[in-house]
Amino acid sequence: MVTEEEIERVSKLMKIDVDDHKEYVDKVHAMIDYFDILDSAGVESEEISMPEIPISQLREDKHVPFDQKLIEKLNNYKGSYVRAPKMS
Amino acid sequence: MTNLKISALDYVEQIQNGNISAEDFVSETVDRIKKVDDTLHAFLSVNDDVIEQARAIDKKIKSGDKVGACYGMPISIKDNMCIKGSKTTCASKMLENFVAPYDATVITKLKQQDAVFIGKVNMDEFAMGLTTEFSAYGPSKNPWNTDCIPGGSSGGSAVSVSAFECVTSLGSDTGGSVRNPASFCGVVGYKPTYGLISRYGLISYANSIEQIGPLTRTVKDSAFMLNMICGLDSNDNTTVDNNSEDYLSGIDSGIEGKKIGIIKEMIADGTDPAVLSSTKDAISKLESLGAICEEISIDMVKYSVAAYYTITATEAGSNLARYDNLRYGYDFPVEGYEFNSYIAKARKNFGPEVTRRMIIGGFVPSAGHAGKYFLKAMKVKSKLTKEVNEAFKKFDLLIAPTVPILPFKLGEKIDDPVSLFLVDINTVTANLTGKPAISVPFAISNGLPIGMQLFANSMNDKLLLQAAHALENTVKLPEVPI
Repeated sequence: MVTEEEIERVSKLMKIDVDDHKEYVDKVHAMIDYFDILDSAGVESEEISMPEIPISQLREDKHVPFDQKLIEKLNNYKGSYVRAPKMS
Repeated sequence: MTNLKISALDYVEQIQNGNISAEDFVSETVDRIKKVDDTLHAFLSVNDDVIEQARAIDKKIKSGDKVGACYGMPISIKDNMCIKGSKTTCASKMLENFVAPYDATVITKLKQQDAVFIGKVNMDEFAMGLTTEFSAYGPSKNPWNTDCIPGGSSGGSAVSVSAFECVTSLGSDTGGSVRNPASFCGVVGYKPTYGLISRYGLISYANSIEQIGPLTRTVKDSAFMLNMICGLDSNDNTTVDNNSEDYLSGIDSGIEGKKIGIIKEMIADGTDPAVLSSTKDAISKLESLGAICEEISIDMVKYSVAAYYTITATEAGSNLARYDNLRYGYDFPVEGYEFNSYIAKARKNFGPEVTRRMIIGGFVPSAGHAGKYFLKAMKVKSKLTKEVNEAFKKFDLLIAPTVPILPFKLGEKIDDPVSLFLVDINTVTANLTGKPAISVPFAISNGLPIGMQLFANSMNDKLLLQAAHALENTVKLPEVPI
């Protein structure tokens, strides 16, 4: 069972401002509860396989300049830096 | 009066023969959008200069200049693909004013072929959903019955093709988001092999499994679109070399002697009787064309939806972390805010479904929960891939209905996330395994379309399109009533 406190903690970690945590508890709980079906899949001994791309097939590790100054599209920047609020 | 109901290939032929002009066709398409889109809400924006673009292409044709293969064909684009200088909102308030500074690779390729981008179309916010009801700008409606959802997340793409508001469309498919709305709106929806089309410029949701794909009136049109937009891209290292395959050539080859596996778990309890009956009909039609059809069990399908949502929520939690209000978002002043609260305030504007998935995306891979959820989901994905690869040792193709149920009423399932999950049961397998799959409009029940889905092994897209074309030719469906 996912508790309201857990949702509050996770949303804080994800930096999401949620007014009413209760509103999310029921649906998030229903969704995570459904994921419990994974327990009966019998995959404990399965190895996780990932697609592999040989390094030879990757593009050259070379800087490709972009033709626009993206930083100038922002409202909050100074020189070549993004302006951010103060860290607490 | 121009016939807007023609296929992409017919459009090209008629332009080449001088029977129609790009300007007339595009202009009448804009009129059509004005006429029907207040009701359907497929479009989030319609480009202002499309008639001028079409006129310029007509001029090129008349002067004998080289013209691209699209000849000014009006194409709609799901609003999660970047077109330089155009708004790309992802149907989210978060990107309401985001103007893309570059073109997605698929857009670059289509521009080179003289496509006209008629507009950006509706979707579930950040492609999270399967009804288009989670768009921050309101849902699209199904042209077959406007009380019903059109499917999603590429709902606007499917509606725009189905209701003759464009000739073809591009959508993106993370768990069925091209095939599901295609099935619900009576058009063809095709998810190619993972890596066949570059994702550069597609706003990320779950990169490891999502894929751009066309929605078209015919299977041949999907092959035509694939020919133009596939191929290696140095901006997307997951793209694969297809050796310049021509997917249109030999598309009439038929399916005689091909072995087709009927996936048992995708016609299980809960499948609508009309969908079940159409599946049986499709199988007997394929057999009458010389295919050999047999049932096959793919056990992991039962766990695929849970694995899919666990993996996609985790990837979404990471991908959407970029919406920090510093580089993307609202750009409100930084003064007076603490760093974390500034970002959290901006993210408050995510819709409820995105917020839920972000929370789940933080929960399932977290310390103490990863072993139970995320790692297990990844193991299911690996085992499912093994099982599907085994199936393709015995069969050339697999078949199942695209969606086990018929299009349902707007609002009917919006408050029941688990019941919505299960609508994805037949589509997520292709994404989790990277295999190509296509939905072909096959039947109408109670005035609503039913799509039939075919799967092939990775890079066997040509065979898939040949089989889908053969299946498509066995039926003639009525015209959309709008």
